[in-house]
Amino acid sequence: MTQLTERYLAASMRGLPEAQRTDVERELRSSIADALEDRVTAGEDRVAAEKVVLEGLGDPVRLAAGIAGRPLHLIGPDLFVEYRQLLIMLLSIVMPIVGIVQVAVALSGGNDYIGAIMAGIGGAWTVGIHIFFWVTITFAVVERFDAVREARDGISGAAGRWTVDRLPALPADRISASDTVGEVITTALTIGGLLFLHGAAWFTDASGDTIPLLNPDLWSVLVPALVAILAVTGALQIVVFLVGRWTMPFAVANAVLQLAFSVPVIALALTGSLLNSAFADALGWPPLADARGPVMLALAAGVLLVTAWEIYDPFRRARRADARATGIGEPGQAAR
Amino acid sequence: MLEDELLKTHRQELRRGTVVLACLMALRAPEYGYALLKRLDAAGIASDANTVYPLLRRLEERGLLASEWNTDDTRPRKFYRTSPTGVELAARLMTDMTDLTASLHAMNGGPER
Repeated sequence: MTQLTERYLAASMRGLPEAQRTDVERELRSSIADALEDRVTAGEDRVAAEKVVLEGLGDPVRLAAGIAGRPLHLIGPDLFVEYRQLLIMLLSIVMPIVGIVQVAVALSGGNDYIGAIMAGIGGAWTVGIHIFFWVTITFAVVERFDAVREARDGISGAAGRWTVDRLPALPADRISASDTVGEVITTALTIGGLLFLHGAAWFTDASGDTIPLLNPDLWSVLVPALVAILAVTGALQIVVFLVGRWTMPFAVANAVLQLAFSVPVIALALTGSLLNSAFADALGWPPLADARGPVMLALAAGVLLVTAWEIYDPFRRARRADARATGIGEPGQAAR
Repeated sequence: MLEDELLKTHRQELRRGTVVLACLMALRAPEYGYALLKRLDAAGIASDANTVYPLLRRLEERGLLASEWNTDDTRPRKFYRTSPTGVELAARLMTDMTDLTASLHAMNGGPER
Protein backbone atom coordinates (compact mmCIF):
# COMPACT_ATOMS: atom_id res chain seq x y z
CA MET A 1 0.00 0.00 0.00
CA THR A 2 1.38 3.35 -0.95
CA GLN A 3 0.51 6.85 0.00
CA LEU A 4 -2.00 7.26 -2.83
CA THR A 5 -4.18 4.43 -1.55
CA GLU A 6 -3.92 5.74 2.01
CA ARG A 7 -4.96 9.18 0.85
CA TYR A 8 -7.85 7.72 -1.12
CA LEU A 9 -9.07 5.73 1.87
CA ALA A 10 -8.77 8.72 4.21
CA ALA A 11 -10.73 10.89 1.77
CA SER A 12 -13.54 8.33 1.53
CA MET A 13 -13.70 7.81 5.29
CA ARG A 14 -14.30 11.51 5.90
CA GLY A 15 -17.69 11.20 4.18
CA LEU A 16 -18.81 8.21 6.25
CA PRO A 17 -20.55 7.97 9.61
CA GLU A 18 -18.26 6.72 12.39
CA ALA A 19 -20.06 3.38 12.77
CA GLN A 20 -19.42 2.33 9.16
CA ARG A 21 -15.79 3.41 8.86
CA THR A 22 -13.83 0.38 10.06
CA ASP A 23 -15.86 -2.09 8.05
CA VAL A 24 -15.88 -0.06 4.83
CA GLU A 25 -12.18 0.76 5.09
CA ARG A 26 -11.28 -2.88 5.53
CA GLU A 27 -13.35 -3.94 2.54
CA LEU A 28 -12.13 -1.13 0.29
CA ARG A 29 -8.52 -1.78 1.27
CA SER A 30 -8.71 -5.46 0.32
CA SER A 31 -10.63 -4.67 -2.88
CA ILE A 32 -8.01 -2.16 -3.98
CA ALA A 33 -5.24 -4.65 -3.13
CA ASP A 34 -6.97 -7.40 -5.13
CA ALA A 35 -7.42 -5.19 -8.17
CA LEU A 36 -3.86 -3.93 -7.96
CA GLU A 37 -2.43 -7.42 -7.62
CA ASP A 38 -4.35 -8.57 -10.70
CA ARG A 39 -2.88 -5.80 -12.78
CA VAL A 40 0.66 -6.28 -11.52
CA THR A 41 0.42 -10.03 -12.18
CA ALA A 42 -0.66 -9.16 -15.70
CA GLY A 43 2.62 -7.25 -16.11
CA GLU A 44 1.58 -3.67 -15.41
CA ASP A 45 3.78 -1.20 -13.61
CA ARG A 46 2.73 -1.01 -9.95
CA VAL A 47 2.65 2.76 -9.70
CA ALA A 48 0.69 3.19 -12.93
CA ALA A 49 -1.66 0.34 -12.01
CA GLU A 50 -2.48 1.88 -8.63
CA LYS A 51 -3.51 5.11 -10.34
CA VAL A 52 -5.75 3.22 -12.74
CA VAL A 53 -7.40 1.26 -9.92
CA LEU A 54 -8.09 4.32 -7.78
CA GLU A 55 -9.34 6.37 -10.71
CA GLY A 56 -11.62 3.44 -11.58
CA LEU A 57 -13.21 3.81 -8.16
CA GLY A 58 -13.83 7.46 -8.90
CA ASP A 59 -14.18 10.46 -6.63
CA PRO A 60 -13.90 9.23 -3.01
CA VAL A 61 -16.52 11.76 -1.89
CA ARG A 62 -18.98 10.32 -4.39
CA LEU A 63 -18.13 6.77 -3.38
CA ALA A 64 -18.61 7.55 0.32
CA ALA A 65 -21.94 9.26 -0.39
CA GLY A 66 -23.08 6.16 -2.26
CA ILE A 67 -22.02 3.84 0.56
CA ALA A 68 -23.56 6.02 3.28
CA GLY A 69 -26.73 6.51 1.23
CA ARG A 70 -26.34 10.27 1.37
CA PRO A 71 -27.85 12.38 -1.37
CA LEU A 72 -25.55 14.15 -3.82
CA HIS A 73 -28.15 16.84 -4.39
CA LEU A 74 -29.13 19.78 -2.22
CA ILE A 75 -32.90 19.28 -2.36
CA GLY A 76 -34.32 16.15 -3.94
CA PRO A 77 -37.54 15.37 -5.80
CA ASP A 78 -39.38 14.47 -2.55
CA LEU A 79 -39.18 18.04 -1.35
CA PHE A 80 -38.55 20.14 -4.43
CA VAL A 81 -42.17 20.99 -5.27
CA GLU A 82 -42.93 22.11 -1.70
CA TYR A 83 -39.64 24.01 -1.55
CA ARG A 84 -40.38 25.94 -4.69
CA GLN A 85 -43.96 26.73 -3.70
CA LEU A 86 -42.98 28.01 -0.28
CA LEU A 87 -40.12 30.06 -1.68
CA ILE A 88 -42.19 31.72 -4.39
CA MET A 89 -45.02 32.45 -1.98
CA LEU A 90 -42.77 34.00 0.65
CA LEU A 91 -40.80 36.06 -1.86
CA SER A 92 -43.87 37.35 -3.66
CA ILE A 93 -45.59 38.42 -0.45
CA VAL A 94 -42.76 39.68 1.71
CA MET A 95 -40.54 41.44 -0.85
CA PRO A 96 -43.19 43.91 -2.14
CA ILE A 97 -44.43 44.68 1.37
CA VAL A 98 -40.91 45.39 2.63
CA GLY A 99 -40.19 47.45 -0.48
CA ILE A 100 -43.31 49.61 -0.07
CA VAL A 101 -42.71 50.09 3.65
CA GLN A 102 -39.09 51.10 3.00
CA VAL A 103 -40.14 53.62 0.36
CA ALA A 104 -42.74 55.10 2.71
CA VAL A 105 -40.26 55.28 5.59
CA ALA A 106 -37.59 56.88 3.40
CA LEU A 107 -40.05 59.46 2.03
CA SER A 108 -41.37 60.38 5.44
CA GLY A 109 -37.76 60.65 6.60
CA GLY A 110 -37.23 63.42 4.08
CA ASN A 111 -35.51 61.45 1.30
CA ASP A 112 -36.09 62.47 -2.29
CA TYR A 113 -38.10 60.32 -4.65
CA ILE A 114 -35.21 58.48 -6.30
CA GLY A 115 -33.48 57.84 -2.98
CA ALA A 116 -36.70 56.42 -1.53
CA ILE A 117 -37.20 54.05 -4.47
CA MET A 118 -33.58 52.90 -4.21
CA ALA A 119 -34.09 52.28 -0.50
CA GLY A 120 -37.22 50.26 -1.31
CA ILE A 121 -35.46 48.13 -3.93
CA GLY A 122 -32.47 47.63 -1.63
CA GLY A 123 -34.65 46.59 1.29
CA ALA A 124 -36.73 44.19 -0.79
CA TRP A 125 -33.58 42.66 -2.29
CA THR A 126 -31.92 42.11 1.10
CA VAL A 127 -35.03 40.49 2.52
CA GLY A 128 -35.34 38.34 -0.61
CA ILE A 129 -31.77 37.05 -0.23
CA HIS A 130 -32.43 36.22 3.41
CA ILE A 131 -35.63 34.33 2.64
CA PHE A 132 -33.93 32.42 -0.16
CA PHE A 133 -30.96 31.50 2.02
CA TRP A 134 -32.84 30.36 5.11
CA VAL A 135 -35.55 28.43 3.31
CA THR A 136 -32.92 26.64 1.21
CA ILE A 137 -30.77 25.80 4.25
CA THR A 138 -33.78 24.43 6.11
CA PHE A 139 -34.85 22.19 3.23
CA ALA A 140 -31.27 21.00 2.62
CA VAL A 141 -30.99 19.97 6.28
CA VAL A 142 -34.31 18.16 6.16
CA GLU A 143 -33.10 16.37 3.02
CA ARG A 144 -29.86 15.27 4.65
CA PHE A 145 -30.31 13.81 8.07
CA ASP A 146 -31.96 10.54 8.93
CA ALA A 147 -33.16 12.01 12.20
CA VAL A 148 -35.32 14.49 10.32
CA ARG A 149 -36.53 12.03 7.71
CA GLU A 150 -39.83 12.04 9.56
CA ALA A 151 -39.98 15.78 9.14
CA ARG A 152 -39.44 15.28 5.43
CA ASP A 153 -42.25 12.76 5.21
CA GLY A 154 -44.30 15.21 7.26
CA ILE A 155 -43.67 18.03 4.82
CA SER A 156 -44.40 16.06 1.68
CA GLY A 157 -47.22 14.26 3.54
CA ALA A 158 -48.81 17.51 4.68
CA ALA A 159 -48.95 18.50 1.04
CA GLY A 160 -50.68 15.15 0.52
CA ARG A 161 -51.24 13.03 -2.51
CA TRP A 162 -51.96 14.97 -5.64
CA THR A 163 -55.55 14.86 -6.86
CA VAL A 164 -57.32 16.49 -9.80
CA ASP A 165 -58.92 18.98 -7.39
CA ARG A 166 -55.56 20.70 -7.22
CA LEU A 167 -55.44 21.48 -10.91
CA PRO A 168 -55.10 25.22 -11.36
CA ALA A 169 -57.93 26.99 -13.15
CA LEU A 170 -57.60 27.65 -16.86
CA PRO A 171 -55.87 30.92 -17.75
CA ALA A 172 -59.19 32.60 -18.66
CA ASP A 173 -60.43 32.20 -15.06
CA ARG A 174 -57.20 32.49 -13.28
CA ILE A 175 -55.81 35.86 -12.32
CA SER A 176 -52.63 36.16 -14.31
CA ALA A 177 -49.35 37.16 -12.72
CA SER A 178 -49.01 40.12 -15.08
CA ASP A 179 -52.50 41.41 -14.12
CA THR A 180 -51.51 41.22 -10.47
CA VAL A 181 -48.16 42.86 -11.04
CA GLY A 182 -49.93 45.65 -12.91
CA GLU A 183 -52.49 46.15 -10.14
CA VAL A 184 -49.88 46.10 -7.38
CA ILE A 185 -47.66 48.54 -9.26
CA THR A 186 -50.64 50.87 -9.79
CA THR A 187 -51.38 50.72 -6.08
CA ALA A 188 -47.73 51.34 -5.20
CA LEU A 189 -47.59 54.28 -7.63
CA THR A 190 -50.71 55.77 -6.04
CA ILE A 191 -49.05 55.50 -2.63
CA GLY A 192 -45.90 57.07 -4.05
CA GLY A 193 -47.95 59.81 -5.73
CA LEU A 194 -49.75 60.64 -2.50
CA LEU A 195 -46.50 60.81 -0.55
CA PHE A 196 -44.97 62.90 -3.34
CA LEU A 197 -47.83 65.42 -3.35
CA HIS A 198 -47.70 65.39 0.41
CA GLY A 199 -44.00 66.20 0.51
CA ALA A 200 -43.58 68.37 -2.59
CA ALA A 201 -42.40 71.94 -2.01
CA TRP A 202 -43.26 74.09 -5.04
CA PHE A 203 -44.02 77.34 -3.29
CA THR A 204 -42.82 78.95 -0.14
CA ASP A 205 -44.53 81.73 1.78
CA ALA A 206 -43.06 85.05 2.91
CA SER A 207 -41.37 83.47 5.93
CA GLY A 208 -39.78 80.76 3.76
CA ASP A 209 -42.06 77.91 4.89
CA THR A 210 -43.37 75.45 2.31
CA ILE A 211 -46.91 76.00 1.11
CA PRO A 212 -48.29 72.45 0.91
CA LEU A 213 -50.56 71.36 -1.90
CA LEU A 214 -52.85 69.31 0.31
CA ASN A 215 -54.96 70.93 2.98
CA PRO A 216 -52.61 71.09 6.02
CA ASP A 217 -55.49 70.46 8.45
CA LEU A 218 -55.88 66.99 6.93
CA TRP A 219 -52.26 66.00 6.71
CA SER A 220 -51.70 64.20 9.92
CA VAL A 221 -54.76 61.95 9.59
CA LEU A 222 -55.72 61.74 5.94
CA VAL A 223 -52.42 60.93 4.24
CA PRO A 224 -51.37 58.07 6.58
CA ALA A 225 -54.93 56.69 6.50
CA LEU A 226 -55.07 56.70 2.70
CA VAL A 227 -51.62 55.13 2.46
CA ALA A 228 -52.67 52.40 4.91
CA ILE A 229 -55.85 51.69 2.92
CA LEU A 230 -53.84 51.46 -0.30
CA ALA A 231 -51.28 49.14 1.32
CA VAL A 232 -54.06 46.80 2.45
CA THR A 233 -55.53 46.96 -1.07
CA GLY A 234 -52.16 45.91 -2.50
CA ALA A 235 -51.95 43.02 -0.03
CA LEU A 236 -55.48 41.94 -1.01
CA GLN A 237 -54.51 41.93 -4.69
CA ILE A 238 -51.59 39.61 -3.91
CA VAL A 239 -53.75 37.29 -1.79
CA VAL A 240 -56.32 37.09 -4.59
CA PHE A 241 -53.54 36.15 -7.01
CA LEU A 242 -52.27 33.40 -4.70
CA VAL A 243 -55.77 32.00 -4.28
CA GLY A 244 -56.06 32.18 -8.04
CA ARG A 245 -59.44 33.89 -8.40
CA TRP A 246 -61.79 36.47 -6.95
CA THR A 247 -64.36 35.17 -4.47
CA MET A 248 -67.40 36.97 -3.03
CA PRO A 249 -65.69 37.67 0.34
CA PHE A 250 -62.67 39.12 -1.49
CA ALA A 251 -64.95 41.26 -3.66
CA VAL A 252 -66.74 42.57 -0.54
CA ALA A 253 -63.44 43.34 1.18
CA ASN A 254 -62.27 45.11 -1.96
CA ALA A 255 -65.49 47.17 -2.10
CA VAL A 256 -65.02 48.26 1.53
CA LEU A 257 -61.43 49.30 0.82
CA GLN A 258 -62.38 51.17 -2.35
CA LEU A 259 -65.13 53.07 -0.54
CA ALA A 260 -62.86 53.81 2.40
CA PHE A 261 -60.48 55.47 -0.03
CA SER A 262 -62.83 57.25 -2.41
CA VAL A 263 -65.64 58.51 -0.12
CA PRO A 264 -63.37 60.81 1.93
CA VAL A 265 -61.53 61.99 -1.19
CA ILE A 266 -64.77 62.82 -3.06
CA ALA A 267 -66.36 64.42 0.01
CA LEU A 268 -63.32 66.59 0.62
CA ALA A 269 -63.06 67.55 -3.04
CA LEU A 270 -66.72 68.59 -3.22
CA THR A 271 -66.47 70.64 -0.02
CA GLY A 272 -63.35 72.35 -1.31
CA SER A 273 -61.20 71.23 1.59
CA LEU A 274 -58.96 68.68 -0.14
CA LEU A 275 -56.37 71.15 -1.38
CA ASN A 276 -54.73 74.03 0.38
CA SER A 277 -56.34 77.31 -0.77
CA ALA A 278 -53.07 79.11 0.02
CA PHE A 279 -51.40 76.91 -2.59
CA ALA A 280 -54.01 77.83 -5.20
CA ASP A 281 -53.45 81.49 -4.39
CA ALA A 282 -49.69 81.13 -4.68
CA LEU A 283 -50.17 79.43 -8.02
CA GLY A 284 -52.29 82.42 -9.09
CA TRP A 285 -55.35 80.31 -9.91
CA PRO A 286 -57.75 80.22 -6.91
CA PRO A 287 -60.40 78.04 -8.65
CA LEU A 288 -57.95 75.10 -8.37
CA ALA A 289 -58.96 74.34 -4.79
CA ASP A 290 -62.53 75.61 -5.05
CA ALA A 291 -65.38 73.18 -4.42
CA ARG A 292 -67.18 74.31 -7.58
CA GLY A 293 -63.98 74.69 -9.57
CA PRO A 294 -63.40 72.49 -12.64
CA VAL A 295 -60.48 70.59 -11.11
CA MET A 296 -62.30 69.44 -8.01
CA LEU A 297 -65.44 68.49 -9.97
CA ALA A 298 -63.37 66.55 -12.49
CA LEU A 299 -61.44 64.86 -9.70
CA ALA A 300 -64.64 63.84 -7.88
CA ALA A 301 -66.19 62.52 -11.09
CA GLY A 302 -63.01 60.66 -12.05
CA VAL A 303 -62.63 59.02 -8.65
CA LEU A 304 -66.34 58.09 -8.70
CA LEU A 305 -66.08 56.38 -12.08
CA VAL A 306 -62.84 54.51 -11.33
CA THR A 307 -64.16 53.38 -7.95
CA ALA A 308 -67.43 52.15 -9.45
CA TRP A 309 -65.51 50.01 -11.93
CA GLU A 310 -63.01 48.81 -9.32
CA ILE A 311 -65.90 47.66 -7.11
CA TYR A 312 -67.97 46.14 -9.89
CA ASP A 313 -65.22 44.22 -11.71
CA PRO A 314 -64.20 41.87 -8.83
CA PHE A 315 -67.88 41.00 -8.19
CA ARG A 316 -68.28 40.16 -11.85
CA ARG A 317 -65.16 37.99 -11.83
CA ALA A 318 -66.10 36.29 -8.57
CA ARG A 319 -69.56 35.43 -9.90
CA ARG A 320 -68.12 34.05 -13.09
CA ALA A 321 -65.54 31.96 -11.23
CA ASP A 322 -68.21 30.67 -8.82
CA ALA A 323 -70.42 29.69 -11.72
CA ARG A 324 -67.53 27.83 -13.28
CA ALA A 325 -66.57 26.06 -10.09
CA THR A 326 -70.11 24.78 -9.49
CA GLY A 327 -70.67 24.03 -13.13
CA ILE A 328 -73.62 26.46 -13.34
CA GLY A 329 -73.82 28.95 -16.13
CA GLU A 330 -73.18 28.55 -19.77
CA PRO A 331 -69.61 27.72 -20.66
CA GLY A 332 -69.66 30.32 -23.41
CA GLN A 333 -70.30 33.09 -20.91
CA ALA A 334 -67.22 32.28 -18.92
CA ALA A 335 -64.95 33.20 -21.75
CA ARG A 336 -63.56 36.66 -21.68
CA MET B 1 -26.02 9.67 -36.69
CA LEU B 2 -26.27 8.47 -33.13
CA GLU B 3 -24.06 10.43 -30.78
CA ASP B 4 -21.80 8.51 -28.42
CA GLU B 5 -22.87 10.56 -25.43
CA LEU B 6 -26.55 9.93 -26.10
CA LEU B 7 -25.98 6.20 -26.49
CA LYS B 8 -23.96 6.06 -23.29
CA THR B 9 -26.63 7.83 -21.22
CA HIS B 10 -29.44 5.58 -22.40
CA ARG B 11 -27.37 2.42 -22.02
CA GLN B 12 -26.67 3.39 -18.42
CA GLU B 13 -30.37 3.95 -17.80
CA LEU B 14 -31.20 0.59 -19.30
CA ARG B 15 -28.57 -1.27 -17.26
CA ARG B 16 -29.20 0.37 -13.92
CA GLY B 17 -31.77 -2.13 -12.71
CA THR B 18 -30.15 -5.16 -14.26
CA VAL B 19 -26.99 -4.82 -12.17
CA VAL B 20 -29.09 -5.38 -9.03
CA LEU B 21 -30.62 -8.47 -10.55
CA ALA B 22 -27.24 -9.77 -11.70
CA CYS B 23 -25.72 -9.29 -8.22
CA LEU B 24 -28.61 -11.05 -6.50
CA MET B 25 -28.31 -14.02 -8.84
CA ALA B 26 -24.51 -14.20 -8.82
CA LEU B 27 -24.33 -14.06 -5.02
CA ARG B 28 -26.49 -17.12 -4.50
CA ALA B 29 -22.99 -18.57 -4.11
CA PRO B 30 -20.98 -16.43 -1.61
CA GLU B 31 -18.44 -14.10 -3.17
CA TYR B 32 -16.40 -11.03 -2.19
CA GLY B 33 -16.70 -7.68 -3.93
CA TYR B 34 -13.73 -7.75 -6.30
CA ALA B 35 -14.38 -11.35 -7.40
CA LEU B 36 -18.02 -10.46 -8.07
CA LEU B 37 -16.92 -7.56 -10.24
CA LYS B 38 -14.70 -9.82 -12.30
CA ARG B 39 -17.48 -12.34 -12.63
CA LEU B 40 -19.98 -9.76 -13.82
CA ASP B 41 -17.41 -8.49 -16.28
CA ALA B 42 -16.70 -11.97 -17.61
CA ALA B 43 -20.44 -12.57 -17.98
CA GLY B 44 -20.70 -9.46 -20.17
CA ILE B 45 -22.60 -7.40 -17.60
CA ALA B 46 -20.86 -4.06 -17.60
CA SER B 47 -20.59 -2.57 -14.14
CA ASP B 48 -18.33 -0.11 -12.35
CA ALA B 49 -16.60 -0.69 -9.04
CA ASN B 50 -17.94 2.59 -7.73
CA THR B 51 -21.54 1.52 -8.31
CA VAL B 52 -21.21 -2.10 -7.23
CA TYR B 53 -19.58 -1.50 -3.80
CA PRO B 54 -22.25 0.97 -2.65
CA LEU B 55 -24.92 -1.27 -4.17
CA LEU B 56 -23.77 -4.28 -2.13
CA ARG B 57 -24.09 -2.22 1.06
CA ARG B 58 -27.57 -0.98 0.17
CA LEU B 59 -28.79 -4.48 -0.67
CA GLU B 60 -27.37 -5.73 2.61
CA GLU B 61 -29.11 -2.94 4.52
CA ARG B 62 -32.42 -3.98 2.98
CA GLY B 63 -31.88 -7.59 4.00
CA LEU B 64 -31.44 -8.88 0.46
CA LEU B 65 -27.81 -9.85 1.07
CA ALA B 66 -26.02 -11.24 4.13
CA SER B 67 -22.30 -10.70 4.70
CA GLU B 68 -19.51 -12.38 6.59
CA TRP B 69 -15.81 -11.62 6.98
CA ASN B 70 -13.43 -14.35 5.95
CA THR B 71 -9.96 -13.96 7.44
CA ASP B 72 -8.58 -17.35 6.36
CA ASP B 73 -7.18 -16.00 3.09
CA THR B 74 -4.07 -13.90 2.50
CA ARG B 75 -6.12 -10.79 3.19
CA PRO B 76 -9.45 -10.38 4.97
CA ARG B 77 -12.40 -10.36 2.57
CA LYS B 78 -16.03 -9.55 3.03
CA PHE B 79 -18.20 -12.25 1.50
CA TYR B 80 -21.75 -11.51 0.47
CA ARG B 81 -24.50 -14.05 -0.02
CA THR B 82 -28.05 -13.54 -1.29
CA SER B 83 -30.59 -13.99 1.51
CA PRO B 84 -33.77 -16.08 1.07
CA THR B 85 -35.72 -12.84 0.52
CA GLY B 86 -33.11 -11.80 -2.05
CA VAL B 87 -33.42 -15.13 -3.86
CA GLU B 88 -37.19 -14.70 -3.98
CA LEU B 89 -36.87 -11.15 -5.29
CA ALA B 90 -34.33 -12.23 -7.93
CA ALA B 91 -36.68 -14.93 -9.18
CA ARG B 92 -39.53 -12.43 -9.52
CA LEU B 93 -37.33 -9.85 -11.25
CA MET B 94 -35.97 -12.49 -13.61
CA THR B 95 -39.51 -13.42 -14.68
CA ASP B 96 -40.28 -9.73 -15.26
CA MET B 97 -37.08 -9.33 -17.24
CA THR B 98 -37.92 -12.30 -19.47
CA ASP B 99 -41.46 -11.01 -20.04
CA LEU B 100 -40.15 -7.56 -20.80
CA THR B 101 -37.61 -8.88 -23.29
CA ALA B 102 -40.30 -10.97 -24.98
CA SER B 103 -42.62 -7.94 -25.16
CA LEU B 104 -39.90 -5.80 -26.67
CA HIS B 105 -39.05 -8.47 -29.22
CA ALA B 106 -42.72 -8.78 -30.12
CA MET B 107 -42.97 -5.03 -30.54
CA ASN B 108 -39.82 -4.90 -32.59
CA GLY B 109 -40.94 -7.62 -34.99
CA GLY B 110 -44.62 -6.78 -34.85
CA PRO B 111 -46.61 -6.30 -38.06
CA GLU B 112 -47.94 -2.83 -37.17
CA ARG B 113 -45.74 0.07 -37.97
